[in-house]
Amino acid sequence: MTIAISEVVIAVLSTTLQLSPFYLFAGMGEIVAEKSGVANMGLEGIMLLSLVTTFIVDYMTRNPWFAMLVAIGIAGAMGIVFAFFAIRIRLDQIALGLAIYLFGLGISFVIFNTLYPTGLTPNYVGLPPIFAGWNKVPVVGTIFLKQNIMAYLSLVAVVLTALFLGRTSLGLRVRAVGENPKAADNMGVDVNKVRFLATLFGALMFGVSGSYFAGNFVPGFQTDIIAGRGFIVLAMIYFANWKPYRTLFAALAFNMVYAAQNEYVTISGFGVASVSTLFNMLPYVLLLVLIPLFGRKAAAPKFLLKPYTKG
Amino acid sequence: MRANTQGLRWLQTTAYNVLAIGLGITAGLAVVVYAGGQIGVALSSLFLDPITLSGGIQQIFVRFVLFYTMGLGVGLALKAGLWNIGAQGQLLAGMVMVFVVYTFLAFFPWPLLYVSMILGAALGGLLWIAVPTILRVKFGANEIVVTILLNVVALNFAFYMLSGPIKSTGTALGFPITSELPPRFQIPNMPGGLPITYAVPATIAIGILLYFIVERTSFRVKANTVGESIETARYAGISIPRIMTISMLAAGALAGLAGATYMMGYRYELDIGSFSTNYGLVAIIVALVGRKHMLGIGVAAFFFAYLTIGAESMALAANVPTYVVFAMEGIMMIGVLLGNYLSKRRFAA
Repeated sequence: MTIAISEVVIAVLSTTLQLSPFYLFAGMGEIVAEKSGVANMGLEGIMLLSLVTTFIVDYMTRNPWFAMLVAIGIAGAMGIVFAFFAIRIRLDQIALGLAIYLFGLGISFVIFNTLYPTGLTPNYVGLPPIFAGWNKVPVVGTIFLKQNIMAYLSLVAVVLTALFLGRTSLGLRVRAVGENPKAADNMGVDVNKVRFLATLFGALMFGVSGSYFAGNFVPGFQTDIIAGRGFIVLAMIYFANWKPYRTLFAALAFNMVYAAQNEYVTISGFGVASVSTLFNMLPYVLLLVLIPLFGRKAAAPKFLLKPYTKG
Repeated sequence: MRANTQGLRWLQTTAYNVLAIGLGITAGLAVVVYAGGQIGVALSSLFLDPITLSGGIQQIFVRFVLFYTMGLGVGLALKAGLWNIGAQGQLLAGMVMVFVVYTFLAFFPWPLLYVSMILGAALGGLLWIAVPTILRVKFGANEIVVTILLNVVALNFAFYMLSGPIKSTGTALGFPITSELPPRFQIPNMPGGLPITYAVPATIAIGILLYFIVERTSFRVKANTVGESIETARYAGISIPRIMTISMLAAGALAGLAGATYMMGYRYELDIGSFSTNYGLVAIIVALVGRKHMLGIGVAAFFFAYLTIGAESMALAANVPTYVVFAMEGIMMIGVLLGNYLSKRRFAA
C-alpha cells in the first residue's frame, strides 16, 4: 500500500485549518478578558451550552446562521452571569470558572436529552463552504476551499485582536485595567466597566467557538463532547504570553501535530486503543514542552484574578 | 470575646453552606420536575435511596474515601495558593500503578507486593504531579495550565497502559481489561458484617494525622502566607519553593493513593469505565466546602458522597441523565463562594 506524501500533507493542512478556528476565536476572547484582569475558566461550559444551542436551533429552524447567532447570545448571557459574580461580587475567578464549567457540562446534556430522549442527534448541516463551486481546483481546492467562512474569519479575528489591544485607545484601557487598575482609575477609566465589557467579549467569542465546534469537530451532540479542548485554549494563550499572533502559532502547531499523528495512526492501522493513544498525547506534550521553554518570559497581566474596589 | 465572634462566624458560614447546597438541590429538583418527574419520588430517592438501597452504604463510603483523600490533596495545595486541577490525572496514575506493580513485581512475596501496590499508587500520583511542581518551582510555569494538560495526557497514557502492558487476555465488551485482583490483594471489609472496607478508617486516620501535621504546626501559617502573598512570604523568610514542593507532592501522592483504595477496595479491575467519571473537580468543591481544613474536608467529603449517590439515584428514578448532578454541583459551588463572600463581608468591619 503506497500513499502519496502529497495527499497526506494536504489532509494534514486541511485538518489544521479546519480545527484551529475553534481555538482561535476562544483564544482571542480569553486574551482580551485576561488582559483586563479577568480569567474565565468556565469557557468550556459556555462552549458546551452554545454548541448544544447550535444543534437545537439549527434543527428547529434549519438556519445555521440563526443557530449560531442564538448560540452566541446564550454564551453572552453566561458571560454576564460570570462577569457579575467575578467583577461585581468579586468571587474567586478560578473556583467560579470551574463552577460555570460544571453547570454548562451538566445542563447542556440535560437540555439535549430532554428534547431528544432517544439520544439521536439531529442531522446538523452547518455553514456551507465559502467557495463551494471551486472544489475542483487541485491541491488548493481541498485545503482552502472546503472551509466555511468562519475559518477565515478566525484569522481576521487574530489580526483585529492584535490591532485592538495594540493600537486602539479602548485596547489600551483594557490593558491598563489589567496591569494597573489603580492608575487607570485615577486617569478616569471605569475599571469594572472595561473589565465587564472585556469579559462579555470573551464569552461571546466562546459562543462562536462552541458553535464552530458543531459540524467541524462532531456531527452531533454527546456528553462531555468538547472533552477538555476548551481548557487547552488556556494553555495556548499562556504559552503565547497573551499575544494574538503567538496564539495563532500555538493553535496551528498544536493542530498540525494533532492532524499529523491522526493521519499516521489512521494509515498505520493500529486498531482500537493501543499504541495510537501514545500518539494522541503528542499535541499536548508539545504544549508541555513549549511552556517551560518559552513560558519563562511569560508575563501575566499584573492584576489578573484580582478584583478591583474603588477607593 | 474573640472566640465568640469566631464561633458566630463559623456558624454563619455553615448556615450559608447549607443554603448553597439547598440551592443546588432545588435546582436539581426543578430540572427533574421539568423533565416530568414527581417531586415526592425525587426527594425520597435523593435522601433515602443512599441508605435504603442495597449497596448504597458501601457506595457512599467508596466515594467518601475517594473524595476525602483527593480533597485533602487539593486542599493542601490550595493552602499554599496552588490550584491542583489535575487530581483526576494523579488518580489515574495511581490506578494504573496498582496494576503495573501487580504485574511487573509479581515475584514479590504477598505482604510486600500488597504494600508495594499501595505505595506504588501513591508514587504514581506523586510522579504525575512532579511535572507541574518542577515547572512551577523552577520555571515559574502556571500550575493550573500544566495540570490541565497533564489530565489529558494521563487519560491517553492510562488507555495505552490498559491496552498493552497491563492488559489481561480477557476483554470487556471488546475493550481491554486488566485481570481481577484476587481476594488476598483486595482491601477486606471491616468485621461485624459492615459493608465498608478498612480503607475507611485508614482514610480518616490519614485525615487526622494530616490535621496534626498541617493545622497544628507552623506549616499552616507558612503555607497560608505563601498562598496569600508571595512577597510577604519572601519578606518573612519562608522558603517558598520548599512549601510549594511539599504541598504539591503530597497532593499528588494523596490522589494517587485514592487510586489504590478505589482499585483494591472496590473495583478490583481496571477497565475503560474506571476512567469515565471526573472526580478531580468534585475534589476541588469538597476542598472548598471543607474550607481547606484537613478535618472539614472530611465532613464535606462525606456529605458530597451521600449527595452524589442520592442525586444519581434521583436522576435515574426521574429518567433524567445523571449529568444533572454536575449542574447541581456547579450551582452549589457558586452558592458556597457567595456564602464565603457574605460571611467575610459581615465580619470584615
